[in-house]
Amino acid sequence: MATTGINYIPAKLVLLGEMGTGKSSLVLRFVKGQFFDYQESTIGAAFFTQTLAVNETTAKFEIWDTAGQERYHSLAPMYYRGAAAAIVVYDISNTDSFTRAKKWVEELRQHGNPNMVIALAGNKADLVDNKQVEAEVAQTYAQDNGLLFLETSAKTAQGVNELFLEIARRLPKANPTQPSRMIVVDRSSERLVSTSYYCC
Amino acid sequence: MQEAELHDLSDDPDYVASQQQGSGGSENQKCTRKSNGPTEPNGSEVVYSKDNVAIHPTQYASERISGRLQLIKRDLSLFMTWIPYKQSASYGVGQGSRVKLPEKDRNLYTIRAVPLTDVRSIRRHTPTLGWQYIIMVLTSGLAFPPLYFYNGGVREFLATLKQHVFLVRSADDANVFLVNDLQDPLQRSLSSLELPRAVPVANVASSSSSLASVHSDDNSNQRSNADYHDSSFSPTESVGRHRQKVRDPARDLSIQVLEKFSLVTKFARETTSHLLRESQIFDNIGGYEKQQQVHSSPVKNQVGGDPVSQELQDKNQIISDPLEKIACRNGKLCEAAATLVGTFELIDSKEAEQQSLVWGKPRLPPLGHEEWATFLDEEGRIVDSKALRKRIFYGGVEHGLRKEVWKFLLGYNEFHSTYAEREFLETMKRSEYETIKHQWQSISPAQARRFAKFKERKSLIEKDVVRTDRSIPFYDGDENPNVGLLRDILLTFSFYNFDLGYCQGMSDLLSPILFVMEDESEAFWCFVSLMERLGPNFNRDQNGMHSQLLALSKLVEFLDSPLHCYLRQADCLNFFFCFRWILIQFKREFVYEKTMRLWEVLWTHYLSEHFHLYMCVAILKKHRKKIIEERMDFDTLLKFINELSCHITLEATLKDAEALCIIAGENKAACIPPGTPPSLPVEGGLLE
Ligand SMILES: Nc1nc2c(ncn2[C@@H]2O[C@H](COP(=O)(O)OP(=O)(O)O)[C@@H](O)[C@H]2O)c(=O)[nH]1
Ligand SMILES: [Mg+2]
Repeated sequence: MATTGINYIPAKLVLLGEMGTGKSSLVLRFVKGQFFDYQESTIGAAFFTQTLAVNETTAKFEIWDTAGQERYHSLAPMYYRGAAAAIVVYDISNTDSFTRAKKWVEELRQHGNPNMVIALAGNKADLVDNKQVEAEVAQTYAQDNGLLFLETSAKTAQGVNELFLEIARRLPKANPTQPSRMIVVDRSSERLVSTSYYCC
Repeated sequence: MQEAELHDLSDDPDYVASQQQGSGGSENQKCTRKSNGPTEPNGSEVVYSKDNVAIHPTQYASERISGRLQLIKRDLSLFMTWIPYKQSASYGVGQGSRVKLPEKDRNLYTIRAVPLTDVRSIRRHTPTLGWQYIIMVLTSGLAFPPLYFYNGGVREFLATLKQHVFLVRSADDANVFLVNDLQDPLQRSLSSLELPRAVPVANVASSSSSLASVHSDDNSNQRSNADYHDSSFSPTESVGRHRQKVRDPARDLSIQVLEKFSLVTKFARETTSHLLRESQIFDNIGGYEKQQQVHSSPVKNQVGGDPVSQELQDKNQIISDPLEKIACRNGKLCEAAATLVGTFELIDSKEAEQQSLVWGKPRLPPLGHEEWATFLDEEGRIVDSKALRKRIFYGGVEHGLRKEVWKFLLGYNEFHSTYAEREFLETMKRSEYETIKHQWQSISPAQARRFAKFKERKSLIEKDVVRTDRSIPFYDGDENPNVGLLRDILLTFSFYNFDLGYCQGMSDLLSPILFVMEDESEAFWCFVSLMERLGPNFNRDQNGMHSQLLALSKLVEFLDSPLHCYLRQADCLNFFFCFRWILIQFKREFVYEKTMRLWEVLWTHYLSEHFHLYMCVAILKKHRKKIIEERMDFDTLLKFINELSCHITLEATLKDAEALCIIAGENKAACIPPGTPPSLPVEGGLLE
């Protein structure tokens, strides 16, 4: 169980997006302040926690970093179920990844927590010379769909803390997100549906 | 109640026997270190003697063999004996419910002068209800059946022991005492690591007295493994044999031993629960202890005519392994043991976490060139593939040999192929590889623009190869050509098996193979062979992974019920936290060299095709305590598991996994349904 201090608001956050867009790098930048050019691919999923003070309260992010490849899509619901927030990442130097991001947003709208705070992150903002997705296009899309939008660079750290801060600000405060106990329950119902081998 | 009657000791033949042989009684433990007892002419001295210490060959309290437990000091060494009483004539009279035990059973369980150097640990059980007992685990991993102290006195026994041998309470479990009577602290610590060289020659030699029992069986096995022994290990032939019998960890016997080990502990637990129930009944009618006192008799230290050596001289009576007999006698129990989880919980739960070395065989040095040559006939056939697989299972392969050996393990080369056949195959395959590779190489940029699937696949692969093992010298630096080879091979594979295509994780599997093969075509074909087994891991519907995770959960249920219960309660039974372990065969959990070692062991399919699942169980079991105590939920557990990366000791885990695999025994089939990767979906037995 997450140890929640009096003012800690636990917030489950999931990162989604095409593989190689920089999801793991964003988490690593946010949680450890590091960046690796050869950040290894994510197999299965990874879990991190990081706290972030916002005004009087402190958000405790419980971050799920997922494997991006379409092949592993069927595992994604397990991770976004019950999430209070999601960051959908695309790579500004790759149009396909933006297309894929929009698909993720749709899926979250359909199957995610209805109050979920969704952020769209245009990552690798440092690669200005190879830019394929214009910020205006993404911004418009985000506005139309009620998403938070930021361009980020895990490499230079541009926009990374801001991204998480914005999300923390938008988390419902009066009605703190479910503690992880509830999330586990949520997940279980999902798993019971998707697999049938829980004999006991 | 009927059962309670069984404990009325006044007409207990065992008790009567003990009276006849003099002594019995709770005061006995007074005879400690500076014994008043006589010193035998040959230098043996009884430093402790305790009557009414019993073994229960079955779970019924009525089937009890009582005897006398003694500690005997001879020269500088301490020995333990437990000799059952001679049956009295009145045995069984008027005891309708009593099962008569044949004389040979009594002898069977006799413990004849076990040197304390052979005892690894003693676990004591001193429940408030029921009888106290101890379980002795030998350094070989073998355990004696529980010795029940019907008159109490486990504490005194340990206190006496402590005066003669080096006894440390396990830091992890206050009821476990590690035994080591070596004087030199360095040797002590070496011994606790179970290095054969830690056995001091002097100590061994001192046991070559009439006290040492003589075993003549099982020599052939010892011979074949003799290469791996330290030569300082058997100072004299006669002793050497006996010592090896108990200590030689490389012998095949340990497999049986493990089975028995688990059996014994299960047995102990059943017996205990039975006894507990019975003693509770007993408690209600006045309490066992009080009755005991009535029958206690004065101390008697005198050992008439040294029954120990007497017994030992009678070779016909010597039975090598008391546990072996349990297994035979209770064939049914054996089955029962195998179907029950927690089988070996009693002993292992705490101990194994700390000292996994009690289990499994010691690992061997990797297979080297000279030994490898002995597996081949003149034409290059591997004569005995099973022996080879076994050898590699226990030690792996020297790096320089991997290129050759892996091709067999992966099934790319057949074991019975000749040098010539392999050479021919290689040439054929090389051109076949070029043909497939050419298929994608010939796609022009213009064509690629209209070939989304190809473009997408290529980009996936390119994204992954540049971040695969770049810290390994073989792949590091900008523009490293080996990274390009990874890409070419993976792209060619995605044409070779277009339906499977490329999937994240594949680059991890290919990387060590290319590193070992140092040849594009050969690496490709070895990868193809590996994918034949592991391909289902990457199926879109995740079926291959699901079936393995399911098998894993069944195995944990069977092999580690406390963990299973916890995971069920924590709603973690999907075992997704082991996803990465299974998907890429622990590639991310070990440093490069260790990964290669593990893989060649797994690929032998020696004990099981699914040895990787036992690896999972072994690791989880090792951390079970922490997982449960910290009440990890799914998130925390996944984080914890991911962070174990590079903190797992490979060799110890392999040993544990081996033990678990053996314990699972016949139940493997029930836990792991056919077709679970890496089993081939159709007919199995590919390697036999
Ligand atoms: N230039 C640049 N490269 C990045 C950035 N973020 C990630 N990368 C690189 O993109 C590759 C994929 O990153 P990763 O975090 O593994 O992506 P994921 O598959 O979405 O988790 C890695 O080689 C990273 O070094 C960024 O902001 N700028
Ligand atoms: Mg990642």
